Amino acid sequence: MSVELKLSRSNRMYRPSEALEGKIIVKTHSSISHYGIRLTVKGTVNLQVRGGSAGVVESFYGVIKPIPIVNRTIEVKSSGKIAPGTSEMPFSLNLRQRDENLERFYETFHGANISIQYLVTVDISRGYLHKTLSATVEFIVESDKADLLQRPLSPEMVIFYITQDTQRHPLLPELKSGGFRVTGKISTQCSLSSPINGELTVEASAVPIHSIYLQLFRVESILLGEKIVTETSLVQTTQIADGDVCRNLTLPIYVILPRLLTCPTTLAGPFSIEFKVAIVISFQSELSKLHKKSDPKTPRLWLAMETLPLELVRTK
Amino acid sequence: MQRQRQNSQSFPLSLAHASMEFRPRNYSAELESHALPRVHAGAHPLSAPPSPLVQVDVIHCENTDFFDPLRGTGNEAKAAPPDHDNLNEASDHQPTKEWTSFRRLLMQRFPVSKMVSVSSMPDVLMRSGKLHEKSSTNIHLEELDDPQKFADEGVKTITWQEYVSRLHELKDEITRSWLAEDRVTSLKLSIKVAKLLMDTSVFEFYPTLFVLVTDIMDMLGNLVWQRIKQKTEFSEDGALRCNLAENFQARDICADAKETCYNWFNKIGAVQELLPRLYLELAILPCWRFLNDQPLDSLKRLVKMIRGLGDPVASAYCRLYMAHCAQKLPSHDIGYLVTCVNDFRVILMQILSANERTCKNIKLDKKLQVTLMEPTIEYIMKCIFNGLSQRQVNEALSELGLMKNQQDLGSISCVSIILHHLLKEVPIEVVSSNVVQILHLIEFSKDNSFDQHMNYRLLGFRLYERKSPVNIVNVVLDKVIKVIALYDSLDEYLKVVDAYTDLILQNKMDNHLNTILEGISKRAWNKGVTEDEMPSLQSLVVKILFHFKCLENVFSLDQFPEILDAMYGKSQDVVFLHILNMATRNGPISDLTSIQLLFEISQNLHDNLELTNGRDDDGQVTRSISRFVHMVDYGADMERHLAFLVDCRGAFGRLNELKETLVHTSNSLAIKALKCAQKHLSFVKSCVTFSEVTIPSISAHRQFDLFLETAEIAFLGGLVSHSDGLIDSAISCLHIFDVIDGFQTPNDVEGLVSSIRKLCGLLIIVPGTFSLPVTYFPNNLFTFISSRSWFEPKMRTQIFSAIILLLTTLSQKRLPYHANTQIPGNDVLYYGDLSYNQELVSLSKLILENLLSVVQQEPSQAARGIMALEACNCIASSFMLNNELSSVCLRLIETAKACLSAQNRYLQSTIQLLNKQLPAAVGTMPMVSTSV
Repeated sequence: MSVELKLSRSNRMYRPSEALEGKIIVKTHSSISHYGIRLTVKGTVNLQVRGGSAGVVESFYGVIKPIPIVNRTIEVKSSGKIAPGTSEMPFSLNLRQRDENLERFYETFHGANISIQYLVTVDISRGYLHKTLSATVEFIVESDKADLLQRPLSPEMVIFYITQDTQRHPLLPELKSGGFRVTGKISTQCSLSSPINGELTVEASAVPIHSIYLQLFRVESILLGEKIVTETSLVQTTQIADGDVCRNLTLPIYVILPRLLTCPTTLAGPFSIEFKVAIVISFQSELSKLHKKSDPKTPRLWLAMETLPLELVRTK
Repeated sequence: MQRQRQNSQSFPLSLAHASMEFRPRNYSAELESHALPRVHAGAHPLSAPPSPLVQVDVIHCENTDFFDPLRGTGNEAKAAPPDHDNLNEASDHQPTKEWTSFRRLLMQRFPVSKMVSVSSMPDVLMRSGKLHEKSSTNIHLEELDDPQKFADEGVKTITWQEYVSRLHELKDEITRSWLAEDRVTSLKLSIKVAKLLMDTSVFEFYPTLFVLVTDIMDMLGNLVWQRIKQKTEFSEDGALRCNLAENFQARDICADAKETCYNWFNKIGAVQELLPRLYLELAILPCWRFLNDQPLDSLKRLVKMIRGLGDPVASAYCRLYMAHCAQKLPSHDIGYLVTCVNDFRVILMQILSANERTCKNIKLDKKLQVTLMEPTIEYIMKCIFNGLSQRQVNEALSELGLMKNQQDLGSISCVSIILHHLLKEVPIEVVSSNVVQILHLIEFSKDNSFDQHMNYRLLGFRLYERKSPVNIVNVVLDKVIKVIALYDSLDEYLKVVDAYTDLILQNKMDNHLNTILEGISKRAWNKGVTEDEMPSLQSLVVKILFHFKCLENVFSLDQFPEILDAMYGKSQDVVFLHILNMATRNGPISDLTSIQLLFEISQNLHDNLELTNGRDDDGQVTRSISRFVHMVDYGADMERHLAFLVDCRGAFGRLNELKETLVHTSNSLAIKALKCAQKHLSFVKSCVTFSEVTIPSISAHRQFDLFLETAEIAFLGGLVSHSDGLIDSAISCLHIFDVIDGFQTPNDVEGLVSSIRKLCGLLIIVPGTFSLPVTYFPNNLFTFISSRSWFEPKMRTQIFSAIILLLTTLSQKRLPYHANTQIPGNDVLYYGDLSYNQELVSLSKLILENLLSVVQQEPSQAARGIMALEACNCIASSFMLNNELSSVCLRLIETAKACLSAQNRYLQSTIQLLNKQLPAAVGTMPMVSTSV
């Protein structure tokens, strides 16, 4: 005896204006009588504040109530019987109700402190004597095309340069004295469906370069009473240069944005999700070998970096 | 007669009491009656027929098998892989032949030492390292600290067999997971495999590693391609949706397949390290075609991303893999390859300039780096110039920054190793039309990546590929000669000069030829010629020899003899052999100095054979010296010629075949002497004696023929007793065959039989002497053969028949031929002598009895039939067929009939002969019916 939910799309991606479609598959050896088969769609923004990192008292942990986005139940079948064997029951359910336009369907996002999740659950209730049969599947919500930004993405790129003088943390003496200069440009507004673009050139460096990488960070902020708790965490690291690359050769920056781990930059009342990128240059140094595991955000003597905000948008 | 018939069922038949009478023959009448009518022939049978179109099949003998370095060692890596071969075969992207052979050459170019040192041991190489399933966040966290780069100090080693066999296992694991629908594991393992290429500290092992890893990458790429293609062509329930055309467009692909494809690029894009990310994206590069119609855009990005690999070797091999993967795309564009080469130039310049600054121990590494990079440059150059039009070539060259205005030539800089491979691949028209520019480029690219003189050398070879205008050749040679005049090293000088020799000879630039010969001899005289320089010198000298038709011209070149003197060893042999062949190419050699020179050369070759104890494997030296001896001609001075032969015998004791030539030559000298007006009988005697003395030192199976030949000569010269002695020697040298094993190949046997038959032919004209019985030689021959068990029945039949025919002939009133009038034949000496005839008959009888019993000994039926017919023919043509002999013949025919088919032509003609010659009393035999 088992029940399974199968959505119509293999990537399980739906837009709010669309109908969630699929079928309920029940497999059973004997016939089952039930008191109704119900389908529940539930979307929530889950918020949590982890203690130490945010510097907030631990008692706050877990006290934040999730923000509901949608919660609707429909009856697919009223009470009756299910014949033995495999039964399939198709269903279709509009996500956004026509009359109530209040709900804002944030895009699915799996972050460290904020998680926006949509679930669909089927329940087959069989009275008090038997356990209710149920199954849950997550589906992914992307913004409606109609709601998307109408203006085109700004093609502008921000130009950056990184030298020993742009660094606000202490550097190795040989870096300070020898000097280095890495320049480039990068897009600061980026469509989720296309990669982060840009380029980078090592113009000079007295100390050999060990590696250059681009780090993508999410910045999650939660309104907690009067305070806003903000935490920045790493999403993805992408190496752009491995070893002491040739000077004055342009290297492209090309980072495909990971799905689910990114979403459009969102500024809602009780929470916000923002992103930024950091270009990190790691120089060859004996010291670096002593610190094997380190927090990527901590500036080190052998690192030089430049952090830039990144606005992610959903485009058509 | 009645009784005899009953007995006759069994052979051998005793003929002791049978009366036998030789059949009288009229040879000249028989010759006339048997001669075929002569018909005028329209064409010479040996004239060349109108040749049909000769089709030259280009044979690709190249073994395209994957060179497995483990195959020889019988390592466990041979363990049968799962059916991934099938998977590979099903794929659309078969590796090209060029790629397959390139990979093999690449591995052979860098043989791997036993141990591979790796800067750290990647866990993927640990056999126990099972792949633990980790949550994706865990993997992300772990990837933050780059385990490869920050690994423990100290070099670790692993045997390369182990390394390679682990890679084979990984390939199998990847296939297995894929087949089990666990494609994520396949991808993860592939990423780990690709990461192995990040460690270039394996040095010489890197190319092999590259081949093995990219083999796995290609396999994964094919699997992904197949999967997406299948998603397009088949719906989820397996029904055929459409057939994807070869030149499909992105819009032909359904959303579902696109989604999967996009997912693959997404997953690969999330790989943190640059190098594995690049390799994996390249592996699935053709899949861009499912997403957009401009897959070349990706290439343009990828070629720049490769610049991020700081290690020159790693980046070079990554470019190589890109060039390989790009060939799977339908469009041919070389822009990205040109970028590659330009990047190569920047990188190499950086390496080379760093050379000057950094300390010495790094210098060796840099050299090795360049060596490791060379094949990648070579392959990419090949890809660029493969099938380009003239216009495209010019474009490519200008994009490479090499074809600017003629004015600012000096400012062009190129790295010599790149220039070398460019020069190798550029079409020859471009070379000759831009030769001045190329000379400049060579002149100005003088760096450590490649030896400059090798580029001058290459230019020489390229120019000779096609007939170049004289003015161009002149310009180049003037320049090159000027440049190499400053070279101190003979090796470099030779390397360059060797390449231009053909051009110099072709254009008859004698002044240049003299200059270079002088240059060589000066340098050789200063420092001597080393072992390494010898091949170049040899190649050059051989070219000169090929060019000149006659030896005198070569030796009249200044410095040539000096250069020849400077040579030694194998190269000297090769050159000497060339000289020898050249001298013997055009007719007889009569010039005394030439003979002396060639004799010395031959002696040198002979002594070198002795010295190195080397066998003259293909018999070339022997053949050439023999030919030389054969071609020598002293004209009328025959005494001197014979003396020369004596010298040769002394000088070339090692060469058996040569002695044979000596015997032949001395014999023909004797003939020549005989033909002269005044007969030099004593000279002929000297020649015969020379031969007689020489023959015993020649290998046994040739002796018989040579004795025979000499005997004939002696006989011709009237030296009857010499001749008798030689025939005796010939017969007794047959003894030697007793001890020789394995001589009896069918050819040898037939040769021997025919030689013995020839002896019988000679014996016809050899007159008996008073001291010896007339049947002395035939009897000796017969006794000898009967006593030797190794003469097979077939040979015996043939030889016995020949002896019987000889005896028959000797009994005739007039012999079919005579030696000359001075030596009377046996017909003149003995015809009519009863005891003479009696002697012949009794020996014939004895031999005939033996012959008949031999026929019955033959085990093979077919052979027995033929032998019976042979015997029958022999009897019928030798004797008058009285009753006894007739019945013998009839029984032989019966035997033949039992053994052969009735249609056998030999059988039928034998029956015909018998019918003609049988006395009427016996009656005619029925013809065998020929009807089927």
